[in-house]
Amino acid sequence: MNSPARAVSPLPSPTTARATLERVAANLSLAVQGKEKEVRLAVTCVAAGGHLLLEDVPGVGKTTLVEAIARSFALSFSRVQFTADLMPADILGAQVFHAQSATFNFRPGPIFRQLVLADELNRAPPRTQSALLEAMAQGQVSLDGATHVLPRPFTVVATQNPVDFSGTYPLPDSQLDRFLMRLSLGHPSPEVEARLLTTRDASSPIEAIQSVTSPEELADLRMQVAAQRLDDTVAEYVVRLAQATRAHGDIERGASTRAVLALGMAARAHALWEARDFVTPGDVRAVLGPCLAHRLLLRSANQGAYTRDEATHLLEEVSRKVPAPR
Amino acid sequence: MTRPNRLRLILRDLGTGAAFASMAVSGQLPIWALGLFVVALGVALTGRRPFARLPKLTAMLLVPLAGALYLAVASGRMDLVVAACSFAGLVAGQRLLSETSTATDGQVLLAGLLMVAGGAALSGELFFAVCLMAFAVLASLSLGLAVVEAAVPVGEPVPVRAVMRPLAVGTLFALLGAVAFFILFPRLNWNVGARRASPGLGTATSGFSDTVRLGGSGTLKSNPRVVLRATLTPDPLTEQLGAYWLGRTYDTFDGQEWSTIGAPKKRGRTRVTLRRGAETQVYQKVELLPAYGSRTLIALETPSKLGNALAHTPTGTRRTLLQELGGDELRFVEEGLGYSYEVYSVPPGTDTDPGKMEQLEHDQLLALPDNLDPRVTELARQVLGDEKDPLTAANKLSSWLQREYEYTLELGGDVTDPLTEFLFVRKAGHCEHFATALTLLLRSQGFQARLATGFFGGERIGDEYILRAGDAHAWTHVLVPGRGFVTVDATPPAFRANQSLELLESLVSIYEAIESAWRTSVVDYSFRDQMNFVRDLTRPPAGSGEKKRLDLPPLRAWVTAVLVGVAVYQAWRYLSRRKPRTRALEATRFVDAVERQLATVGVRAGDGETLEDVSARLTREAHPLAPTVSPLTRRYLEARFGQRALEPGESAQLLKGLKQAIAALPPKEKPREKAQA
Repeated sequence: MNSPARAVSPLPSPTTARATLERVAANLSLAVQGKEKEVRLAVTCVAAGGHLLLEDVPGVGKTTLVEAIARSFALSFSRVQFTADLMPADILGAQVFHAQSATFNFRPGPIFRQLVLADELNRAPPRTQSALLEAMAQGQVSLDGATHVLPRPFTVVATQNPVDFSGTYPLPDSQLDRFLMRLSLGHPSPEVEARLLTTRDASSPIEAIQSVTSPEELADLRMQVAAQRLDDTVAEYVVRLAQATRAHGDIERGASTRAVLALGMAARAHALWEARDFVTPGDVRAVLGPCLAHRLLLRSANQGAYTRDEATHLLEEVSRKVPAPR
Repeated sequence: MTRPNRLRLILRDLGTGAAFASMAVSGQLPIWALGLFVVALGVALTGRRPFARLPKLTAMLLVPLAGALYLAVASGRMDLVVAACSFAGLVAGQRLLSETSTATDGQVLLAGLLMVAGGAALSGELFFAVCLMAFAVLASLSLGLAVVEAAVPVGEPVPVRAVMRPLAVGTLFALLGAVAFFILFPRLNWNVGARRASPGLGTATSGFSDTVRLGGSGTLKSNPRVVLRATLTPDPLTEQLGAYWLGRTYDTFDGQEWSTIGAPKKRGRTRVTLRRGAETQVYQKVELLPAYGSRTLIALETPSKLGNALAHTPTGTRRTLLQELGGDELRFVEEGLGYSYEVYSVPPGTDTDPGKMEQLEHDQLLALPDNLDPRVTELARQVLGDEKDPLTAANKLSSWLQREYEYTLELGGDVTDPLTEFLFVRKAGHCEHFATALTLLLRSQGFQARLATGFFGGERIGDEYILRAGDAHAWTHVLVPGRGFVTVDATPPAFRANQSLELLESLVSIYEAIESAWRTSVVDYSFRDQMNFVRDLTRPPAGSGEKKRLDLPPLRAWVTAVLVGVAVYQAWRYLSRRKPRTRALEATRFVDAVERQLATVGVRAGDGETLEDVSARLTREAHPLAPTVSPLTRRYLEARFGQRALEPGESAQLLKGLKQAIAALPPKEKPREKAQA
């Protein structure tokens, strides 16, 4: 008897999806202690299929977190240290002449991994930044007339130091817009730091991280996120929040349409933490700051950490003023 | 049939009934058309549609009815507009009893619209307006429900309760909008319809015809409709005026009917302009109301000058010509809904100059019918003896008639000789019988007399006197040398004035007041009124011209602007508040109830906090209510944003659980409740 072949695997239930997310988050907490909220948001960002910008001073565990994510999801991983002399080909790859066959073969660059860590992205020249950001947006690389598709699932995590801007090329706003979230880990609490001192042995914490899920499960998770129900009133709420940022007196440029889409997608992913297949206004507010703060251009000319705090503060004010649907 | 269907059809049928009523209130539709429609409506309201099986045959029945109506119109027995209205009612009735479908609904409502238009042609009065509004509301609700019903998938229940309130609110706003449109939109006051509007309760009096048929009327005495309002100078200041208001007189009696010989010399006389003067005379400012139903001027006996007449028509108020007719009757040339004019009257019994009368007219005051029963003359002779003075004779006869005869409103039917019937057979009659008897008894003894008709009485309301239709009366004028015509009334005093019930009078008075306001504010509301309304808002009142002209609009303009602003703001707020509630209304009501319950123990949502936030906060704080509130919040969120609606009774069950949890709170949580209270 012929039975119809199952073309696609069924979506995981919200409960299954939450279990996966919590499993990953618990796993990450082994490497990055005392940052449960940030870890959850990072996992949310990855589950939503977005790229993540980690902005913090060195030594707070940014790289560790990214590596732990790659290990937890069993993703192929590469780390690129962005420097002033880094060229696009160093990231994307290049055509290499093969003397024996007298042909040019494509040698893929480090971007051809499922999780790419672009360390200190703002130190690379704009041309190199653009090459990466274009790959992030398109999910593919075009080189010498040939198109090379990036592996799936594909995620870029970039880091930058919010304080030390000397000799850097700050990311243009349009490129910042391509990151779904911007997170700051911040220093751990004194208790956590003390515990680190007493408990950590010679081995790197990342070595303790084992894979707890698979890239296929992450792909299913992303499909589940995309299938989350977004009620019309919640969608209107998202738009009203974005409009409020555009109308705010202290904000030079408010949230873009891409930001609205990003906020909706992040809220969808956040709903999975509650094992829900629908989005609530609470989900939207939970991801509002990480999704929008880095996309706003404030009227004050401050830069760095101060700007980040001010933007977050303005977004909190906006979320208080815009009534949520009841 | 499902419940929502039934409700929609009932609203549709009632709306059609209201449309028919808008024509019926004119009182001009034939009784058979009224009966047929009422039966059809009654059957339709019970949910039965007997014509559904034979739609074509029943529709064909309308053809002969249309033919019959055409013949009635062609033969002059029925007015064209009335016939058209009757036919519209029949069409509506046929459709009401036919199969229900979208097409039929449209036809029924279209017929309703036509009937409303017919009602406007027949009557523009208060009852018509009430029916029109009822039709508009019911038809709108029915149409709204039909739209909702069409949008709901087959088999799914129609959310009647959920939609009726917004529908009702929408209809209310539409009505208010219509009122605003009526007040503010510039109107063009030409008389589109050829017909005049008629008084809402029908014509109150029988009018003043050229003849009075004895026994031909007599039921007016119990009609409490107000037909005349008058202010008198000098003001008698009495509650009951007890005066005779003269309309016209008759000098010829043929045994059955009173009439007047010939016509006066001056016909089609132009308007009479009155100037103040003649301080000894009684000055009256009179308004004849639509219920009066005649064009004859009324004045206190004995009128000496009448004029300054204005006719109130649907197209506005304007001056009108007067026409002098026989029987001292003065009539308005122009047809109007009502009239106002001024009169000077000589105090009763002091008119020394009855005017120059021709010999023919003098002779006519003594004329007797050819077939006068000889017993009449004999009777007069017996009562009067050899009395020579006309006034004494009249009083003697009057007293005798009042003593010997009874007053009744029961008519004796159409008899050959009503006077003989009254004097010798029934010995009971109404004012016309008494007045006729007195007049002819006097004439039989050579005293000149005539019949006068008009009103008797006058009831004080505020600063003015009113007359009711029931005050219509007939009496006798005796010509007394040197004093002119003197009134002598043979009707027993208790029966001269209106005899309607007090309760009925007060009810009719209320109606008259509303109708008067309706006519002033709606029917007669013209472009000029609109301009005046706007001008009054922006200019200082008349008489303040001496004051220094202000650049700013007057205070009332500001007040009006503020009131309008507040009204618009409130309406906007109400609508904007309703908008998000149109969906998942039950879940929203549920969350409101939950928040109210939580507030009783001091758990309140902060600035911008939702129940989701409150629940998370309670969980963080390990509040004893957290375990109860958390699943409840989850259920609300599912119902509101997850398309898993609350089951019937589920919200009540959840709230009950919350109340129990609140009641079971440890005492340390209770003080908060008291503190909040």
